[in-house]
Amino acid sequence: PSIPEGLPGDKSNRDGVLVDEFGLPQIPAT
Amino acid sequence: MAHWFHRNPLKATAPVSFNFYGVAGSPAANKICNDLRTTRARLLEMFTDVTCNPEIMKNATDAYFSLLQGFISSLDGTTQENKMRFIQNFKWTDTLQGNTPSAQQDAVFELVSMAFNVALWYTKFASRLAGKENITEAEAKDVHRSLKVAAGIFKNLKEVHIPRLITPAEKGRDLEPRVMDAYIIQCQAEAQEVTIARAIELKHNATLIAALAFETANFYQKADHTLNTLEPECSSKWRKYLQLKHSQYFYLCKGTFDKCGEAIRSLQEAEKCYSRAEALCKEYRQTKGPGTTAKPSEQLFFLKLGGVIKNTLEKCQRENGFIYFHKIPAEAPQLELKASYGLAEPIIFELPPLSEQCSAEVYATFDLTKGAKNDKAKPKEEEVKPVKEPDLKPQKDTGCVVS
Repeated sequence: PSIPEGLPGDKSNRDGVLVDEFGLPQIPAT
Repeated sequence: MAHWFHRNPLKATAPVSFNFYGVAGSPAANKICNDLRTTRARLLEMFTDVTCNPEIMKNATDAYFSLLQGFISSLDGTTQENKMRFIQNFKWTDTLQGNTPSAQQDAVFELVSMAFNVALWYTKFASRLAGKENITEAEAKDVHRSLKVAAGIFKNLKEVHIPRLITPAEKGRDLEPRVMDAYIIQCQAEAQEVTIARAIELKHNATLIAALAFETANFYQKADHTLNTLEPECSSKWRKYLQLKHSQYFYLCKGTFDKCGEAIRSLQEAEKCYSRAEALCKEYRQTKGPGTTAKPSEQLFFLKLGGVIKNTLEKCQRENGFIYFHKIPAEAPQLELKASYGLAEPIIFELPPLSEQCSAEVYATFDLTKGAKNDKAKPKEEEVKPVKEPDLKPQKDTGCVVS
């Protein structure tokens, strides 16, 4: 498994991932 | 999403005339009092006006609060309490306590009670909008935003304004920390429900949905536990709602595992959760208490998911019997359940700037010594009538079409 980026519990989802008004990734992951 | 959300009743209040005979010693001071009366009355009207929208509500709220702060903020350049803060008695009922009002002669009590009702209005607006037929994406955003605005107001009141009250709230009253926390968490959880519905519609991956459902389930459980030391007769119906929502979303997070051997075990667990959620729906509807009764068990969103779980389980069992022959684990597999996306944060609430009418010069013309000599300045006993809320009659349910 790859080394996780950021600290546990850190809401780093917006780093490089565009999210919509609901906080969901703009491009569906599937 | 018709009948999806439980709502407690609005707070009711007695009319306030702001007639301070003698005390208001200038035309400008009298104008402030008149404007306080009219802006308060208008804001109260807006709570039950079905045509009111967030923009109208914000304008009505700002109009009243910008003036009311003239009785709270220090206007004479000192750090002393505003001399007008304790001149007027205010009565407010509480959402869980029927028609027995609390009363405090304190403008801060008025500010927090009125703002509490503004937050409740946002939750009711969201509920009404969510009940519309064929809800659009823009409307779904309004629902989501309104719930976050409400959460922000409740949070701000709890952290900033309620601690300023001289008389702390009694047990079970709206302004006590347990009740405030339950409202904050409920608003956040309901906003996340909208996000979950959207994530399902947009076919986001199962792990994302499961994690958000798990965190939402935990929010509901936390809100329920927050209320467990209150009197059951006032809190049990609300708590049943929170419990059934916890169960529904716990079931949803269990049901989003989609790999064959482990999936069968996980889906079996989901079916158990679904049954528990169904039972709680019945209990909730049979429980007496304040507030509207939501009907989550009749939701197409909920019913559809029940079907999806059942069909997926059957499909997995069939395929496992013919193709995979995976061992079904005794324990349900754990998912990665830390949500990274879709968590709803409260929108920060700020009071409007003080009205320009409330200058230091005008403030100086309020003279408390004049009012004491006049009997008419004594607080008049006003009756608190319950708020007649407009019927929330949702239209035909079309299921979960958020996108």
